[in-house]
Amino acid sequence: MSLTVDKPVPEQPAGRAAAGTGRRRWRPSVGRSIVIVLVGLFGVWTLWPMYWMLSTALKSAKEATNLSPTVWPHTITGANFHELFGGTLPFSTYLVNSVLTSLIAAAVAVLISTLAGYSFSRGGYRLTSAASLVVLATQMLPLVVFIGPLYLLLLRAHLLNTYLGLIIGYTTFAIPFGAWMMKGFFDAIPREIEESARVDGYSRLGILFRVVVPLSVPGLVTTGVFVFMNSWNNLLYPLTLVSSNSRQTLPPGLLQSFSGTFKTDWGGMMAASLITSLPLVIAFFLVQRSMVRGLTAGALAGT
Amino acid sequence: MQAALPKATGRVRRRRQRTRWFDWMTAPALIVLAVVVGYPIVDAVLVSFTNYSLYTPLHHYVGGVNYSHLSNDPVFWKSLQNTVIFTGVSVAVGLLLGLGLALALERLRGPWRFLRAILLTPWAVPVIVTAFLFEFMFTNPGGIINSLLETAGLIHSPLPWLTSPTWALTAVIIANVWMQAPFFLLIFTAALGGVPDEVIEAARIDRARTWSMIALIKLPYLRNAALVGALLMIIQNFNNFPLIWAMTTGGPAYGTSTLVIYVYQLAFTSFKLGYASAVGVVWLVLLMIITSLFIRTLRSRPA
Repeated sequence: MSLTVDKPVPEQPAGRAAAGTGRRRWRPSVGRSIVIVLVGLFGVWTLWPMYWMLSTALKSAKEATNLSPTVWPHTITGANFHELFGGTLPFSTYLVNSVLTSLIAAAVAVLISTLAGYSFSRGGYRLTSAASLVVLATQMLPLVVFIGPLYLLLLRAHLLNTYLGLIIGYTTFAIPFGAWMMKGFFDAIPREIEESARVDGYSRLGILFRVVVPLSVPGLVTTGVFVFMNSWNNLLYPLTLVSSNSRQTLPPGLLQSFSGTFKTDWGGMMAASLITSLPLVIAFFLVQRSMVRGLTAGALAGT
Repeated sequence: MQAALPKATGRVRRRRQRTRWFDWMTAPALIVLAVVVGYPIVDAVLVSFTNYSLYTPLHHYVGGVNYSHLSNDPVFWKSLQNTVIFTGVSVAVGLLLGLGLALALERLRGPWRFLRAILLTPWAVPVIVTAFLFEFMFTNPGGIINSLLETAGLIHSPLPWLTSPTWALTAVIIANVWMQAPFFLLIFTAALGGVPDEVIEAARIDRARTWSMIALIKLPYLRNAALVGALLMIIQNFNNFPLIWAMTTGGPAYGTSTLVIYVYQLAFTSFKLGYASAVGVVWLVLLMIITSLFIRTLRSRPA
């Protein structure tokens, strides 16, 4: 042990330094293998449910409801997917409704959030910080508390059971989040770039849409994807604001279907889940890099 | 002189602009939020002093009756308790898992970064799908989780995951952690990227070992991310409706009923909008305390 102290280590007593170097030779490998095992376990825990979804979706009805579940599907069949699109469950109607409302909500929210986010980012008005804090606080309000009055409001406006009513509902969470996320992206764009456009006589709106927005395309896409994901996920609004089956979106539609007649149709339920997940997982992977930036900028308010 | 004149007016104009109160660019966002959030919230507070029911449009002012009734309502207290347990355990476990993973995966380079992206996927899986997945895996008899636990010899008889109040709350929390741990991984990964290289280098020269490096150098840099991430998730879990509603609808025997579930049931299953609003308002006040804490944390952060 004492042999290892061949270099003088001024700050530390020789014994500790020797123990340190001695330990260093074997400890990282044990530590590292523990870390690898733990990360591996976490990987299994993360991936297993998704594998199980895929595996069950490909099983026959008999195998999927087997009381002693099989890890690999013995016979792979596409029957569950056929049933979704050709069966009694109006799955494709739900899917179209979900896609339409989420896409429009994302587009509307991005447009409104771009204006507000730019204003919050550049400031210059007495009420800027007050307005931005009000918007931030809105984001944290529980949707359920005002769903009753919102329901009555849309009832009086004859907007229940319409796409418009649903999209209006989605804006309650999409705009606050979007505005802060866009603010984060705009904060990263130096103001000097705008100066030359200002000298050229562009209006504020012109600067925003011809100079700033083209530079913030990743931000726009990320915000749009985020609003899309949140709208796609929303259960409360369609559950309360939509009662007609022809206007229903996926979450409440599937919930109602698979808690009633199709209660134990696990294969069908997993096939529906798989298709419901695909758009979000794909969108997530497309924007994954800027999502990290957007979240830390938007949700964590300018790091 | 000719050149000085427009310059002077320009300065006057700019000064006037600087003292303006309101930016029209924030108007669309604020108007929409005033209609779909502001009005309903005010309405909810007003309704909480009435005996409004969706059964009968007739209603009148009843003063604080709803609020005094609330203090003697065992379901309210049970729901409050569940909300605190659900939120506290989910956030604590998710945060620790995310932190550990972020530290373990910090040095991933090149194609291995893909591993981190895969571990983030549960976050992109729709909430309704997470609920279906775990409902299916926890189902008894025939669920894979009981089957795996029995095969591993950890339990002797199947656990009543979704049919006993205590186990149901555990099951819902497990599903929630699966969904949310990736968020913390994302936040901490971004924050670790913000630790200055010089600090790490200096610590390495001082022969800091892995554990002391983490405890003394990195963790202080992660404090803000942990605080903000935790507060954000506390607020989100306080408002978590879709996961619990889809998995258990608050049952069995109010075992997984949180405040959000209780308010929804009061308003849309019992149609007692007045009382539901009173519960909502109390909960709103609780949330506002947490939110103001959140905003203060954001503002006190060094830029």
